[in-house]
Amino acid sequence: MNKRWLRRMDFTLIIAAVAIILMSLVTIGSATHINAASAGGYGFVQRQGVFAVLNIALAVFLMNFDYKMLQRYGTKLYVVNIVLLLAVMLFGHSALGAQRWIQLGPITLQPSEFSKVIMIISLAALLEDKVGKLNSLRDLLPIAAFVGLPFVLVLKQPDLGTSLVFIAIFLGMIFAAGVNLKLLGAIFGAGVLASPVLWHFLKDYQKMRILVFLDPNVDPLGSGYHIIQSEIAIGSGQLFGKGLFEGTQSQLDFLPENHTDFIFAVVGEEMGFIGAAFLLLLYLILLWRGIRIAQDASDTFGMLLAVGVTSMLAFHVLVNIGMTMGIMPVTGIPLPLMSYGVSALTTNIMAIALLLNIYMKKQRLIF
Amino acid sequence: MLHEFELRLKFLSGLIVLVIVLLIARAGYLQVYQGDEYARRSDGNRTRLVPTVASRGTFYDCNGLSIVENRPSFVVSLLPLTAPIQPEVITRLSELLHVPREEIDAKVKAHTGYEPIRIKGDVGADILTVIEEQSALYPGVIIEVQAVRDYLYKAQGAHILGYVSEISETELDERKDEGYRTGDIIGQFGLERIYDKELRGTNGGELVEVDVTGKPVQILGQKDPISGHDFHLTIDWRLQAATEKAVDDQLSLIGAQAAAAVVMNPQTGEVLAIVSRPAFDPNLFVHGISEANWKMINENPNDPLDNKAITGEYPPGSTFKIVTGTAALSEEVVTPNEMILDTGVYWLGEKGNAGGEVLGWLDFTSALSHSDNYYFYEMGYRLGVDRLERYARMFGLGEKTGINLPYESEGLVPSREYKEKYLDDEWYDSETLDAAIGQGFNLVTPLQAAMVMGEIAANGKRFQPYLVHKIVDADGKVLKEFQPKLLSTLDVPDEVIRLVQQGLRDVTKEGTAAGVFGAGFPVDIAGKTGTAENSQGADHGWFVAYGPFANPNIVVAVIVENGGFGSQSAVPIGKRILEAAFGLDGSIPFAEAPGNKRR
Repeated sequence: MNKRWLRRMDFTLIIAAVAIILMSLVTIGSATHINAASAGGYGFVQRQGVFAVLNIALAVFLMNFDYKMLQRYGTKLYVVNIVLLLAVMLFGHSALGAQRWIQLGPITLQPSEFSKVIMIISLAALLEDKVGKLNSLRDLLPIAAFVGLPFVLVLKQPDLGTSLVFIAIFLGMIFAAGVNLKLLGAIFGAGVLASPVLWHFLKDYQKMRILVFLDPNVDPLGSGYHIIQSEIAIGSGQLFGKGLFEGTQSQLDFLPENHTDFIFAVVGEEMGFIGAAFLLLLYLILLWRGIRIAQDASDTFGMLLAVGVTSMLAFHVLVNIGMTMGIMPVTGIPLPLMSYGVSALTTNIMAIALLLNIYMKKQRLIF
Repeated sequence: MLHEFELRLKFLSGLIVLVIVLLIARAGYLQVYQGDEYARRSDGNRTRLVPTVASRGTFYDCNGLSIVENRPSFVVSLLPLTAPIQPEVITRLSELLHVPREEIDAKVKAHTGYEPIRIKGDVGADILTVIEEQSALYPGVIIEVQAVRDYLYKAQGAHILGYVSEISETELDERKDEGYRTGDIIGQFGLERIYDKELRGTNGGELVEVDVTGKPVQILGQKDPISGHDFHLTIDWRLQAATEKAVDDQLSLIGAQAAAAVVMNPQTGEVLAIVSRPAFDPNLFVHGISEANWKMINENPNDPLDNKAITGEYPPGSTFKIVTGTAALSEEVVTPNEMILDTGVYWLGEKGNAGGEVLGWLDFTSALSHSDNYYFYEMGYRLGVDRLERYARMFGLGEKTGINLPYESEGLVPSREYKEKYLDDEWYDSETLDAAIGQGFNLVTPLQAAMVMGEIAANGKRFQPYLVHKIVDADGKVLKEFQPKLLSTLDVPDEVIRLVQQGLRDVTKEGTAAGVFGAGFPVDIAGKTGTAENSQGADHGWFVAYGPFANPNIVVAVIVENGGFGSQSAVPIGKRILEAAFGLDGSIPFAEAPGNKRR
């Protein structure tokens, strides 16, 4: 690796991503009580930190390759994706009422996490030669079916959150691919009309989550408990926060899932509005750079990839943080680069590596 | 076409900015705009105020002997914080503690808030070990150490001391403003009730930080409880014990069930002993009385929870002749020396002495000492009911003495007004005769009977009876010292009181109590027997007395319900009380006991 290579890196994006990961390690540490003598110790922070370093190393290594070669593997990756998701259905073990995990030695993998990036790549490959030609339902249906299969497999796990991410990716990418806006509007309209029908296909706990989202006090000790406690945690952080390790909601376990899905509430409680707004600004930089990279991409495939990755990350940020603050229903999707979870971390670092790779290739003409 | 893509990507950028701005705005709303409210809720989540119950004040007798204290008791309680108690845990606990399941269920159902639900107190080490060692089988079950009232002498003095129990819903509603809270212990009877506020002290508390399971993490703040005040009573516990024994022995001897006795110092109003039978053990109430015990007390026809010495109202019988005699001499309807012939049957009403005894010629003192009904019928006839009423009221009858105990009765003074008001009928002369010998529309409490005798002993001075000598705080500082309170003085010539005293003195020498006292009683005693007619059953026996005659410091009133003649039922009790009071039973006499040198 030489200086020229380095000069072609998007440092703004890198700094934002690394800053989020560092904040994540500190917050996971606090949420898992590394300060308390009796509690679990550094296990979670260590694992997350080690995987962050390994993934960054892998990402640096992958910079040697050109993302454009991925286009050729679009179909194969798609098949692998479907096989993986089927494997989860057949061999996966379940936790918390959902079958999402595959045990590989000491590591528990969550294939639906990886499937999001694989989906982006294969969808970008598919859409690449269809840009500007998505004008009718007939044009769109094959693509919808292409996304629909993995979507249904994830929904069946059941993992409503991740399946909704698929829709976000789908919508973001076909929008960038120039889908006819009237057609897009019609799809939205149909979706709204169909929602009462879809309601019947939801599991009871999913219905409950939506009801609780509309009014957490429907079930204050059950599903509503998470939202209420999370809002209390964030709100009680006030402007400057209670201080690291001082968040009573988190430290005394009133806040459930505080190192995974509700990690933003720990930030809000312990670092206050200042910390929460700072983290959100880091995400803004990250996502803003994502769209810039799409704009500057040297080819349509790269542009579609960048839009897909950014759509995925943006949807995660919106739904996860919105959920902790009571403006989105509880869907259980993690906060990118923040939530504890090896599969999600790997997926997100790979996604950002993809953005950087696209960025690197854009200026080839200049040098 | 390219321009179109640029626009779409710019739109996506805008969308992203919008999302982030929306999220920051929401965070600002929660954290800055509503931050205070959420901070309050967060504190409410993590903090619990755990009350530290103040130790209740101690009772001492007049010699500084401790009578009522507090002792630690292990209580098995339920604490449902995050989840309801599982039914199988309740079943297990019910078997372990031998408490019916329904009883536990009822308590759990009635429970609100964070206070533990107390299931059983005074649990032994065997049960504590089981619960501690198998704590996994008893989730939500905790063991608390509670200070409970310890009545060291069980039923002795129960009617003076009273008892305590957990505050009931209705009491809570009535007394919420006075600072009472759910689960508080409150005095229900006797001094415990009257002085509850002084005895209970001020509860302290700990502000404890708890985790989500309710387990305390650290103490954030602490307010120490302030112990209740200690009470030094006028009661002489030794004399109280002797009085109780005298009453009990006599009751079992004659087969009676109910009785009452009061012992006072007539020169001050200090109450030295109060006994009421049947009694109860206040210790039964400290953990909430069991169904069986409550049934036993509540269904006893003689009502153990009644303090008959101040609540019971009885016809005064011949003890009322003290009032009639004082009135007759003061109003000069008779001279001390006028001889009246008891012919057996008085012309009006055709009544005479019980048993038809005819005593012949009598002057005032011999009529009083022999309790001659004929003579006092004549006095009543000469006085008329109005004057009789006036003197009865002068003695303080028909009104509460104001003793510091709850549920005192007023008694009843014979009057035209009463009869007209309640019976809508005019007064007949024959009723005056009944009133003159303490029957008819005439009721007194044993305490009032003692007061009447005490006024004669104290040359007409009527002191308010009181039970508390001083109230002392936990540091030993005297907060209040009670002094004798002169309520009134009999508005009669000294000569009259001397004549009445003379007649009463002869009662134990040659009169109705002479048989019991005999010739050799070493202390000069004045007394008066009485027999209260009882339409419901056997007559009640009365005896009132004071001594030593020259300088009295003891007055006694005794009534034995359904005991028959006072001379046979009540006098033996009175005699034994006087023996104890004057040290004739081998003990230290009251007047010389260390605590009583103060006057």
